[in-house]
Amino acid sequence: MKVRLHIKGKNLWRLCTLIVLCIVLSCCYTIIASVDQPATAVVGSNVNITVNVNNSCNSSGTAHFVFGFLTPVGWNTAKNAKITYSSSKGNGNMVLIPSTVIAPNSNGVNWTTYMMNFFGLAGNLIADVQWTAYESDVPINYNNGDKITGTVNITFSNIGADGNPTLVKLAYVVANDQNGFTFDGNDGDSSPTSEYYNELITPCFQLTGGNGDLVDFCNPQLTTVNPPKSLDNDIVTLTFNNNVTPTALAGASAVYLCAIATLNDGTKVTVCNPSTTTMLTETTATSGLYQLTFWPHKFFGLTASQTVVSMTYFITDQTGKTQVGYGGGTSPFTYSFKCT
Amino acid sequence: MNYHFIGKKRPFLIIMLLALMWTSCKVEQVAPVAESNKDLTGTWKVIQATRNGTNLIPLFDFTQFSITFNGTASTYTLNNPIPFIELVNGKYTLDNPKYPFTITFTAAGGQPVPTAFNYPIIDGSRQIIMTFSPGCPQNTYVFTLTKSN
Repeated sequence: MKVRLHIKGKNLWRLCTLIVLCIVLSCCYTIIASVDQPATAVVGSNVNITVNVNNSCNSSGTAHFVFGFLTPVGWNTAKNAKITYSSSKGNGNMVLIPSTVIAPNSNGVNWTTYMMNFFGLAGNLIADVQWTAYESDVPINYNNGDKITGTVNITFSNIGADGNPTLVKLAYVVANDQNGFTFDGNDGDSSPTSEYYNELITPCFQLTGGNGDLVDFCNPQLTTVNPPKSLDNDIVTLTFNNNVTPTALAGASAVYLCAIATLNDGTKVTVCNPSTTTMLTETTATSGLYQLTFWPHKFFGLTASQTVVSMTYFITDQTGKTQVGYGGGTSPFTYSFKCT
Repeated sequence: MNYHFIGKKRPFLIIMLLALMWTSCKVEQVAPVAESNKDLTGTWKVIQATRNGTNLIPLFDFTQFSITFNGTASTYTLNNPIPFIELVNGKYTLDNPKYPFTITFTAAGGQPVPTAFNYPIIDGSRQIIMTFSPGCPQNTYVFTLTKSN
């Protein structure tokens, strides 16, 4: 026996379904067509970057245009980058999205966290980069079939505010505030992408000059310090990666830290004796990664009034006679204890 | 059935029913249990430690470090100091003795340093969870301590 299902207010249900479908499908596919940015710049200079964006809309609606910019933390992008947009739908300013705004489809996190969770470090090797999230100052109206072209214009003042010469992969993300980083799976239709977002990672950008230490986010380093920015009262982890390039320590059963600290009063303290205190432990057998986690203030045996400003160091074998320095050479590695 | 009898006694029955209803409802006196002051007295050791989310326990020796609170004198003593909220002994206060959310350390001769503070009971024992930055402000450490005696 057939049972007919009678739903009261059939038209109401149909209307609700239509509204839901409209919400789900109301969006524009977006893609970064190209980025015009210089290959190099000098610390402290002003840099102009243009991001060219194409949108293809499959329905009508309204949404804020969202833009993400990945840069080193020390550049203070939120303060130093002024961003505008110009498009076939109008021109305006890109404004910072407050950290209290929860991004859609993000599991309840804000836009910068969403970007970091979704896109990560964009190929950079040191976790000292951050996403800065912007949105168009006004919502943008779009219609079914719209092909919107636009540019995001970045004027970066005082680039490299931390004063460090830098190699970094800058990255850009475009999206809208309705869909977040989602897609509809309809690849192959008339749109350039099935995604409502797009990321573009640029080749390594080089910042020269500055009075700080070179920070290379692009290339694997023989040694790294984590956290990348620290003071002598942090607990720091020094990692020696014996796989990056052949060194005199190839196959060493144990490696040690040999360091000279420069203190705030200008004096120097040397700790250079292979011992359990200075030994870097291999993370796993044959990994070639050796780590030492230490408290610099205690490691150098300082008094309460003394602080470490910087240190130069070598990685040595157990005799202390075989030393590996920067790039595998005879010059020491350098590290400055500072927060910017 | 003698309906006449019931009719004559009706007012009496109604009064009796009302009296029963009245006496059956009584206000239950719920005496709230007074929240006790949080007493940190004792020696506490680190059982969990993270730096910017990275687990430090396998990387760094925390076994020698402990902090001893004296609730009566409101003092703390650091044993084998490591990077912590303070590196020198001193006094401490809680923002609320019953429901503390912040603990303030004042090292001898130093300025007060307030720190986020949690005091949960986990697996039947009290723990102290403190969040702080002893070095750069962007480096966040979370220590979980439990009483060692």
